[in-house]
Amino acid sequence: MSRTAELVLILVVLANFVVLGTARLSSCVRAVALQGVLLGLAPILLFPGWSAHRVALAVGTIVIKGLVVPRFLLWAIREAAVRREVEPRLGYLPSLLLGTVVLALAFALAERWPLPVEGGGLLVAVAVTTVVHGLFVLTARRNAVTQVVGYIMMENGIYLFGLTQAERVPFLVELGVLLDVFVGVFIMGIVVFHINREFDSIDSTRLSELAE
Amino acid sequence: MPALFFAGLAIIAAGGLSAVLLRRRSGLAAGVFATLIVAGCAMVAIPAVDMLTGGRAWEISLAARVPGGDWVIGMDQLSAFFLLAIAIVGAAAAVYGAGYLAGAHRGAVAFAHAAVALLLVALALVVTARAAVPFLIAWEVMAIAAFLLVMYEHEEDDTRRAGLIYLAATHTATLALIALFATWGVGARDLSFASLAQVAASPTGFGRNAVLLLALLAFGLKAGVVPFHFWLPGAHAAAPSHVSALMSGLVIKTGIYGLLRVAGLIGGVPEWYGWTLLGLGLLSGVLGVVWALAQHDLKRLLAYHSVENIGIILIGMGVGTLGRAYGLPAVATLGYAGAILHVLNHALFKGLLFLGAGSVAQAAGTRRMDALGGLARLMPVTWLAFLVASAAIVGLPPLNGFVSEWTIVQALLRAGLGEGAIRAAIFAVAGLGLMGGLALACFAKVNGVVFLGRPRTRGAEAARESGPFLLGPMLALALACVLIGLLPALMVPPAIAAAGVVAGPSALGGVDLSWDLVRFSRLAVLLTLALTLAWLTWRRLMRGRWRTVAHTWNGAYPLPTPRMQYTASSFAAPVLEPFGAIAGLRAERTEAGLETHPFDPGLDGVLLPAWWRMRAVTASLRSAQMSRLHVSLLFVLATVIALLCYLALRANW
Amino acid sequence: MTWSSVAALGVVLLVAPALPGVATRTRSFLTGRRGPPALQLYFELAKLLRKRVVYGATTTWLFRIAPVSGLVAALLAACLLPLDGRGAIAGFAGDFVLFAGLLALGRFLVILAALDTGSSLEGVGASREAMVGAFAETALFLVFAALVLATGRTTLSGMLGSPLVAAWSASLPSLAMLGLGLFVLLLAEASRVPVDDPATHLELTMIHEVAILDYSGPDLALVLYGSSLKFALFTALAAGVLGPRAALGPAAALAVLPAELLLVAVAVGAVEAVTARLRLNRIPQLLVATSALVVFATILLLRPA
Repeated sequence: MSRTAELVLILVVLANFVVLGTARLSSCVRAVALQGVLLGLAPILLFPGWSAHRVALAVGTIVIKGLVVPRFLLWAIREAAVRREVEPRLGYLPSLLLGTVVLALAFALAERWPLPVEGGGLLVAVAVTTVVHGLFVLTARRNAVTQVVGYIMMENGIYLFGLTQAERVPFLVELGVLLDVFVGVFIMGIVVFHINREFDSIDSTRLSELAE
Repeated sequence: MPALFFAGLAIIAAGGLSAVLLRRRSGLAAGVFATLIVAGCAMVAIPAVDMLTGGRAWEISLAARVPGGDWVIGMDQLSAFFLLAIAIVGAAAAVYGAGYLAGAHRGAVAFAHAAVALLLVALALVVTARAAVPFLIAWEVMAIAAFLLVMYEHEEDDTRRAGLIYLAATHTATLALIALFATWGVGARDLSFASLAQVAASPTGFGRNAVLLLALLAFGLKAGVVPFHFWLPGAHAAAPSHVSALMSGLVIKTGIYGLLRVAGLIGGVPEWYGWTLLGLGLLSGVLGVVWALAQHDLKRLLAYHSVENIGIILIGMGVGTLGRAYGLPAVATLGYAGAILHVLNHALFKGLLFLGAGSVAQAAGTRRMDALGGLARLMPVTWLAFLVASAAIVGLPPLNGFVSEWTIVQALLRAGLGEGAIRAAIFAVAGLGLMGGLALACFAKVNGVVFLGRPRTRGAEAARESGPFLLGPMLALALACVLIGLLPALMVPPAIAAAGVVAGPSALGGVDLSWDLVRFSRLAVLLTLALTLAWLTWRRLMRGRWRTVAHTWNGAYPLPTPRMQYTASSFAAPVLEPFGAIAGLRAERTEAGLETHPFDPGLDGVLLPAWWRMRAVTASLRSAQMSRLHVSLLFVLATVIALLCYLALRANW
Repeated sequence: MTWSSVAALGVVLLVAPALPGVATRTRSFLTGRRGPPALQLYFELAKLLRKRVVYGATTTWLFRIAPVSGLVAALLAACLLPLDGRGAIAGFAGDFVLFAGLLALGRFLVILAALDTGSSLEGVGASREAMVGAFAETALFLVFAALVLATGRTTLSGMLGSPLVAAWSASLPSLAMLGLGLFVLLLAEASRVPVDDPATHLELTMIHEVAILDYSGPDLALVLYGSSLKFALFTALAAGVLGPRAALGPAAALAVLPAELLLVAVAVGAVEAVTARLRLNRIPQLLVATSALVVFATILLLRPA
């Protein structure tokens, strides 16, 4: 794997940690935007040679994950007058600690998984880390926007997993993932908008009140 | 040498006896007791020092008529190192005790002195026993003597509660020990350690993992490793201060001795055991110091620091075990050596801290830190000794705590530069850093709130400096701390030799620290000289330019009172806040202030509720059993059937 | 001990008081103000040294020995760093523990001296100093451990000397992260903006400044110089990791040293210009995040090649 590709993957993990450690909603969104751009670069840098497909994929990813979706989220924050702060269920310090433990475990186990992997253990480790971090954000943060962020992180991790199998299942995985993100964010955005209009809040704990 | 050792023990025992016989003349009794104990300890120390400076190991066996074979008593470097700690701290605590209990009821004093002598003899025998039966006897005598001493102030409810919890814990430990020797002794010729080592070395194998787990339970309980620490703070705080020094400095170290001895006898120890020790060490270390920060009672705080230091020792032992398991002899030796050295160091400075806390409590009439303050002016010598010990426990250079910490870090770094999974052990360095930083905060709090500033209460104002019986032992211990800190080359090589007993003598070849130790010692001496010289020069330069004014500037507030000083709780609050619920602190914020109440998450959070729940369940069962005969018979029948089923199933498999 | 290591120590001792001034000046410039001259601290030290010292009646001998002892500890710590990029004045295996220990000794003295005054305001400062110190020390130990892994050496001279140059080409991302981590530690240990604000005048918001509130005259001069020396030491550490000078000749390395120090100081000022001071309970968060960063760097270093 080239040095640049390694750097890109490391930055992906650092973006995860920004989401885990920051209190500001907009920083979370920006970190995920950065992650989207990095993911767009990844397929070009990870595998040698150029092809039209690959470039198209990169451009598409960067535009959607790096620009459109974050824009949309920032707009949602502004429009829905969401509180600007992340509302953590689990504090920032435990989040960071758990995130670090997950990272360490992922790297320790990455070498042992019996996966036919292209791109080496680093790619698998980063993918696993990102998926678990995303799951963590989904469960440990209350705000609906952070939930979307966690969902996107998870998607990003799966995307990276897809890259490890890129030669075997060309493009199918990626496109599916792209679509998935798009749809997911769209739905969540609408939900955000609606909840806010109906209940003056997008605190997802209040959603449970609907059931009662 | 064996003759000297046993004569020393006899003199210590005679010291205890004399306290009882002469109890009607308390002044004389105290003098005779202190003299005999010091003489006995010196005589016990001589064979230990001889062993550490290259003497020959010895063993003698007494033919016994009980099962389990001969009673073997022996000496090697590991025993010698622990004996040295026992002799130094034991002598200091005994002299201190003679002065500390001077004003108390005669009979009780004589009894306490006798129990201290008994405790010291038992401790010495625990670390020299070479067979299971004498080891268990010495172990149990030690536990009972310590229990009697903990119950010294048995009029207090807290003391009785602490004593009972301690008794339960120590008996669980003994039970686990008996199970350990029973498991291990299957197939052994007799129960001497030599035979047990043969069993361990034999190819047929034995329940190695079971033995290690039982050792962890038995010795971990004695050492106060989290989560087995629950008995420790209460017992140490309740005992008279010189007994706290003995318990914290020596008694809990027998748990460490046991773990080391078992590892030495078994030889090859599996990887999981090393990782477990390392993990438990990190857990005990960090939680111990966090819980210490939350305390308001001076002696409870010190007791929690024992949990922390046991954690540091376990980190050393863990990396040593890993070094052995992964075939890195240098790591094994350095890890064990650091742990063993820290045993001695902790005995010295923690003993000193408890003695200092005792002086403070006696002079000011309270152990509550927020009721003290300003004692630095009233008890200057006590404070000096306490300050030295505080700096040592924090791990500041040039004192002894720093030396053992450095040795353990050496082992961790070399593990990191090794091969394979052991490299991950290097992350433990962060734990040591965190413990050091938090311990610094904690002892800054203790020294600041207890000794600096102005007295917060009448009691603190009335405090006066202690007498020579109390100050002498403290200064001696402080001197020992400084000496080991200044000349690491003095104590590190013997610790490495003792580590050879555990890591295997062949491991010793891999370590060459002599050059680094010389340079390290040189720097430590240089630091001390530089500090002294700079201070003298500065004082000379500033002559005539110093002026003392009446008040500290206090935010322009003209009438500060001592009660406005920062309290222990406020000092600890920002440091503890990031730890959230695990800090074991209930905070009460009122309009005028902040009050915090520490509790032990292990004991008060888990163990006691579980105990009450269990009692409630058994009580309801008992009522069922009592009320009707046929119900009771039903129980019996069900048990018999269950047993039969078990036997049938076992026969079929 | 070589001539260049002694000369480098001299350079650091001379330049040290300029660093906080340069940082503050940069911050002022970037926020559109003029600010005090960069050499302000030298003037202040000269003025303070001529004055008399006033002590509160509550204080003990500890308050009087703390400034000079803290400075001696910092000086000895400076002797352990390979300031000329090749070798320290003194060193031994695992000497970074002594380096951290000496800094901790200085902090212990500052905290105790603050509590010695019996003033509640200084108690506030002391307690916060202890909190920052505990979390910063964790990160510092991790950084050193990572450097040991990266270079295979356990002395500071080795970790920051020529093996580091080789390590940069082998594991660039890790070392960049370590440099960043050290930079954050510099901000914390030197009481700069996201952690502490040296320019504030409200006691309740200060950390280091409020802990030394009671010092005056030459004692204050020693304390201020000691703080600037600590600033210089962490600057030298960060600069030593980010721009190792071992490949240069001794004379060139000496010439580059002050430039590197001032460059890092300018960077500190730039950070101060664009960030706001953190809320007090966010400081441990910053330092734990730094530790997480360093742990990540260490994990990358531990990866089998």
